[in-house]
Amino acid sequence: MDSLDQANFFRRIRTALGHAPDVSRTATHLFSQVPSAEDLQLLGRVHQRSAADREALLERLIEAGKPINLRVIPVPDMDAARTAVLGVVDEKHPEWGEPKSVAAWRHPLIDRLGLEKPLALLQVPLRITDPIDPEAGRDRDQAERKRQRADIIASFIGVTAADFCMADTATLVLRNRPGQPRSVALVPSIHIAVITLDQILTDMKELFALLRWDERFRPEGLSNYMSFISGPSKTADIEATMVHGAHGPREVYLFVIAG
Amino acid sequence: MSDISTEKYVEEARRGIADPVLRRSLASLQDRFGRGTAEAYRKLPEGPDLRLKAHEIREKAIANLDVLLETLTAKIRQNGGHVFFAATAKDAVDYCVEVARRNQVRLIVKGKSMVTEEIGLNPALEAAGVEVVETDLGEYIIQLAGEKPSHIIAPAIHKTRNEIADLFVRKLGIRRTTDPPELTQAARKALRQKFLAADMGTSGVNMACAETGHITTVSNEGNIRMATTLPRVHLAFMGMERIVARLDEYEIILRLLCRGAAAQTMGTYASYVGGPRRPGDSDGPDEFHLVVIDNGRSRILADPQFREMLCCIRCAACLNVCPVYGKIGGHSYGFAYSGPVGAVVTPLLTGVNRAKDLCCGETLCGACMDACSMNIDLPRMLLALREKLAYGDANWQVEPASRAEGLAYRGWSWLIRNRRLYEFCLKLAAAGQKLLPQEKGLIRRLPPPVQGWTQSRDLHPLAQETFMERWRNKKVKSNE
Repeated sequence: MDSLDQANFFRRIRTALGHAPDVSRTATHLFSQVPSAEDLQLLGRVHQRSAADREALLERLIEAGKPINLRVIPVPDMDAARTAVLGVVDEKHPEWGEPKSVAAWRHPLIDRLGLEKPLALLQVPLRITDPIDPEAGRDRDQAERKRQRADIIASFIGVTAADFCMADTATLVLRNRPGQPRSVALVPSIHIAVITLDQILTDMKELFALLRWDERFRPEGLSNYMSFISGPSKTADIEATMVHGAHGPREVYLFVIAG
Repeated sequence: MSDISTEKYVEEARRGIADPVLRRSLASLQDRFGRGTAEAYRKLPEGPDLRLKAHEIREKAIANLDVLLETLTAKIRQNGGHVFFAATAKDAVDYCVEVARRNQVRLIVKGKSMVTEEIGLNPALEAAGVEVVETDLGEYIIQLAGEKPSHIIAPAIHKTRNEIADLFVRKLGIRRTTDPPELTQAARKALRQKFLAADMGTSGVNMACAETGHITTVSNEGNIRMATTLPRVHLAFMGMERIVARLDEYEIILRLLCRGAAAQTMGTYASYVGGPRRPGDSDGPDEFHLVVIDNGRSRILADPQFREMLCCIRCAACLNVCPVYGKIGGHSYGFAYSGPVGAVVTPLLTGVNRAKDLCCGETLCGACMDACSMNIDLPRMLLALREKLAYGDANWQVEPASRAEGLAYRGWSWLIRNRRLYEFCLKLAAAGQKLLPQEKGLIRRLPPPVQGWTQSRDLHPLAQETFMERWRNKKVKSNE
């Protein structure tokens, strides 16, 4: 039945466009097979970015973050980043009155932060979201997913590492991978992201040029779920008054490790 | 099919105009977003002309809709998603009900989507015994109040904080407050429980990208991300025209969408969904369904006069500048789509005769086209619809709206080609108008059947000496 509905659907479209109703058309010219001159220029710009250019981009990012309440905080090294994250954990209070608990991605950069021991000293459990082993069997898989979901819901802070950050709009770019569930950046009241200075791009044009044409990023592409996050959740649905913290995180911190 | 009450346009418009609270909210909305969007276009590195480029991109996509939809479908299926093609609103609703039934769904959380308003999804799901909760704050307020959205982006713009406070006391049992942050927090708390308990989430689609095989949703609140991340099933509804070929084209559309919708450089969240959770992922839905909806769009596609309307991305920028929408409000338009976009698309989707007042109610001032993120020539299409209403149209099954009007214009056309008779009639009218009630040199009321002209304005009387007479007299004088 589905396939018949589909065939009829496309027949109507082709007829409306004045094409033969039953012939599937190819139109390769609609898609690009090779990078355009503009794409190449964008790739060149990203690859040849100097240290001074990166600093300038960081400044742009900080400025763009201000009006949307994204707190961009440069830190000199891993130690400083760790201290900064712990500072937020210590200072802030859980929104729903639950005991303090932090959820964090399994990610090389977050591993290097070494949050576990210092958090234990604060008596705050750290829940790392390890990849689920697809070979472990359906029951194990389900049980593990259920446990991670409960961990994330119980946490008042979620720690992630963005793939990129676009300076012009202060936008974090997160691609989906096992061990890096999207709900860590969504369900906890506070979202903390860490990136290194070289992950800052200018804008979407650069991002899409990398995802489409750069050998390092092209294989993964957009992944099956990519999200752009520009600051904390907000709404203006009551008399057009801006309120932060609608459904997603109420606060977003971005620590940029400069070293 | 959802409720259509386009016949009540005049009645509802009158009610809107008489409502001072609505007028004030609409004025402040238009003042902020209308100006803000124009400013945001000006600040684009490419300038407002980027809209022309976007228009080209959209026209190209529409001209190749079959190829793009096939490409998107193949990619989504390859990634484990399901794609269903719905010819009618009923097909789309039935499919959703069936997916809900198969998955034993009791609670659905909805991300904001106008196409689900168009197809009347909520009543059908409720009839099937499923609880449906709107999660966009504005939509949630409207749902609690049992009303309909009155703006595409700001659905509760017609409600005051006092009304919302009363509503929340009644429905959520909170202590009364009129503070927007406190009201928002109350909704956040109530809806968080719904997000966590829901079995299925639905969303619309702002734009799909054929090349990568993703649909995207944009929101400021994060409700769509919640609704499409936490439940077991994600079902997305997409008008069949919401697609572009390539990511670099998509980039331009997204930038204009955010500017057109809310004068933002970027919405808080934009999500790219290419399929369900993959093995090894700990969250995301087990099932992903995309429902591609025709529901009258292929008919618009087949008509070169109206095909341009399919370029629309429903950003609602036209509502924020329209002098008519700004006075009468969204409910007058009687369907999911209000303002100038509604005035064109609603007659095309629901019947031109039935929705005739919508296209006749607009002023043709052209503000909508200047504000349109896709630079769509809405005034041209309003005129085309009016032409069909004047002369009838077999293709669109349009009956001439008023035979008397047609006759009157034919009579007029004959009269003005008979100079002497015309001038005689003018003399007659110039003498006759003295019988009409006048004030300060203006005519206050015209007699039936043309009384409408003076319902809300006074009319200048005909000059005692016509231009042609003055011309002749002047000539005589200068020749002397």
